[in-house]
Amino acid sequence: MRSSDLFALAFGNYSRSRLRSTLTTLGVAIGTALVVLLIALATGAEDNVKRSIFSIGDLRLVTVQPFQPGATGLSAVPRTIGDDHVAKFKAIPHAQSVYRQYDAPLGMLLEGGEDAAIRPQGIEAGAPVDRGDLLAGRHLGPSERGVAVIPGNLARLVAASPAAALGRKVTLRLGGAVKLGATRISGSGTPRDYVVTVVGVFDEQASQTSVRIPLEDALLAGAENRGLTADALRLGTGYSGVAIESDDSQYVADVVRSVQELGFSAFSLKQVIEQIDKGFGVFRGILAGIGGVALLVAAIGIANTMVMAVLERTREIGIMKAVGASPRDIRSLFLAEAALVGAFGGIIGLALGVLGGQAIELVIRTLNPQASPAPIFIVDVPLALGAVGLALLVSLVAGFLPSRRAMRMSALSALRYE
Amino acid sequence: MATTDGVIVRATDVARVYPTGATAVAALDGVTLEVRRGEFLAVMGPSGSGKSTLLNVLGGLERPTRGTVVVDGVDLSTMDEVALAGYRREKVGMIFQAFNLLPRYRVVENVALPLVFAGVAPEARLARARSVLDRLGMGPRADHRPSQLSGGEMQRTAIARALVTDPALLLADEPTGNLDSANGEALLVLIAELHARGQTVVLVTHDASIASRAERTVRMRDGRIVN
Repeated sequence: MRSSDLFALAFGNYSRSRLRSTLTTLGVAIGTALVVLLIALATGAEDNVKRSIFSIGDLRLVTVQPFQPGATGLSAVPRTIGDDHVAKFKAIPHAQSVYRQYDAPLGMLLEGGEDAAIRPQGIEAGAPVDRGDLLAGRHLGPSERGVAVIPGNLARLVAASPAAALGRKVTLRLGGAVKLGATRISGSGTPRDYVVTVVGVFDEQASQTSVRIPLEDALLAGAENRGLTADALRLGTGYSGVAIESDDSQYVADVVRSVQELGFSAFSLKQVIEQIDKGFGVFRGILAGIGGVALLVAAIGIANTMVMAVLERTREIGIMKAVGASPRDIRSLFLAEAALVGAFGGIIGLALGVLGGQAIELVIRTLNPQASPAPIFIVDVPLALGAVGLALLVSLVAGFLPSRRAMRMSALSALRYE
Repeated sequence: MATTDGVIVRATDVARVYPTGATAVAALDGVTLEVRRGEFLAVMGPSGSGKSTLLNVLGGLERPTRGTVVVDGVDLSTMDEVALAGYRREKVGMIFQAFNLLPRYRVVENVALPLVFAGVAPEARLARARSVLDRLGMGPRADHRPSQLSGGEMQRTAIARALVTDPALLLADEPTGNLDSANGEALLVLIAELHARGQTVVLVTHDASIASRAERTVRMRDGRIVN
C-alpha cells in the first residue's frame, strides 16, 4: 500500500467523524499547549537568570582568589599569590592569557569629596574587567602610569559630561577613612594623594566606585601605605586575584581543576551556569511532567476514540481484509489516523501555547509596567519541534493497542459483524 | 506445484472444526474436491451443510483445521495471515450475498479498492476499475455511491471489484440471495458470460435451479460432499 493512499484513507476517516476528531484533537492541543507554555516559562526564567550573570562576565574566565581551595567565605584560608604562582598559571594548558590584579587601599576622589568613595583596581592592560564599550575615551594601555578609567558618576563630579572629563587630572586620596554608602571605614595607614589623568569613562552600571588604574600604580600605592617597597609587597602580600582566560569555554573546568591543584581557590561563571542548568533542568522536568499529565489525559481520549473507530468500522475492516489488505495495512491505517490527531493537535497546541504565552505576558506587562523587559516565555526551535514530536509520539502510543486490535481481527467475523 | 494438469483447485481431506463450548462442530468434515481451470462449479446444499465454509477456505478467509488446499499452485493450509492476504489480493475474487461495498466511496473507488492494497498508483487503478465497470455495463454508474444503486447494480459492482485483479478463481457465495428474480437472472447470465470467456467460477447456492446453470454440481450435507 502506498503511503499517499494510506494518508488519503486516514484523512478521509479523520474528517468523516468531524466532531469526534475535533474534540480528540482539541484534547491533544490543550495538552501540548500546556507543555509548551510551562517549558517556555522555565526557559524564560532560566534565560533571565543567565542574562543577569552574562552581564557580569565572560564564560571563558577563571578567577583565582588568594585563598586555599575548598572553604569559602569567613572560613577561607588565605594564601599569597606571588609571581612564581602566576608563572605556573600561565603554564596551565588552555590558559590563553593571565591577568594579575592588585586592589590598592580604598580611598576617595578628592574632587568629589567624602561621598566619592573609590575602590582602586590595579589591573593589566586588556584585563577582562577593563573591556567592553566605554562612555568616553579608551581602556588602559600597556605599561602606562598615572592614568585611570573611572565610572560615569565620578566623571560627572569633575566635568559636565564623561567626554569632557577625558584628559582631566584628578586626585585619588588612598588609605584614608572612607564612607561607603552609610558606613564609615577607618583608613589603614596614612592617606596619600595620587594625581592621575582620566583616559576613559565606563558606564557606572558596572560599578559606581571602581577606578581602574595600572597594576604598578596600585602596587606602589599599596606599598607606600604600608611603608614597604612594591617588590616587598608582591612577595609578602601577593596579588588580590588573577584572571585566567581560557581559549575556549569547554576547557574552563580543566583550568579550574589545575588552579585548585596548584593550591588556590578558583571560580568560574561557566560552572555557576552549569549549576543553574542542572537546577533548571529539574524545574523544567517538573513543569513538563505537569504538562505531560494533560497530554496523558489526551492520549486516553485518543485511545478511546480509536477503540470506537475500530468497532464502528469493523465491517469495513472485514471488507478491506477480504479484498487483500494485509494485517500491516490495517494497522497502519489506524495508526496513521492516530498520527493525524497527534500532528494536528501538536501544531494547534504549539500555536495555542505560543499565543497563550504572549497573552499572559501582555497581561503581566499591562498590570505591572515595571516588570523586567526580558521575555517571560521563550519558545525556541527545539521546544517547538519537541512539543509537536511528543504529541505525535503520544498519539501513536495511544493508537497502538486499538490498531493492533483492528489488525488481528478475523476477516470473516469482521465481515459478519453488524 | 503442478498446475499443468488443468486442475486449479485441489482440496484434500479438508476439515474445519469450530469449538463451541464442550462439543466441537465440524463445518467441514473431510472434503476432497478438484476444480478444473475454466470450470463453472456449483456447490449446493442446505444451510448448515458447510458449503459457505468451503468457499471461505478456498477464498483464504478461513484456514482448514485439517487437510490441504492447493489453489493455482500455492498451498493455503500452510500460509500465515500476511501470505493469505497476498493470496486474497492476487489469486481470488469473492462476491457475497450482502455485496459488502463501502458506502462512503464511489462505485469506481470500491472497485479499485483491491488495487489500493496492491500498491497500484491512483490513476492506473481507477482506469482499470473503469474498464472493468464498462465491461460489466456499469460504466455510467462509476461515479455514484453504492446507496444510489439498485441491488443488481451493487452486485455487479461487487463482481467488478472481484475481477479487477484478474483473479485465477472467482468465488460467489449466494450472489443472487439479495436480488429479485429479474436481477438475479441477469446476474447469472453475467456469470455464465464470464465463464464463457474462460473464468473459473465456484458458486455456492441452496437453490437447485441456480446450480443447474453450472457445468457441474457437487452436493454437500453435514460437512461432506455427498454425490
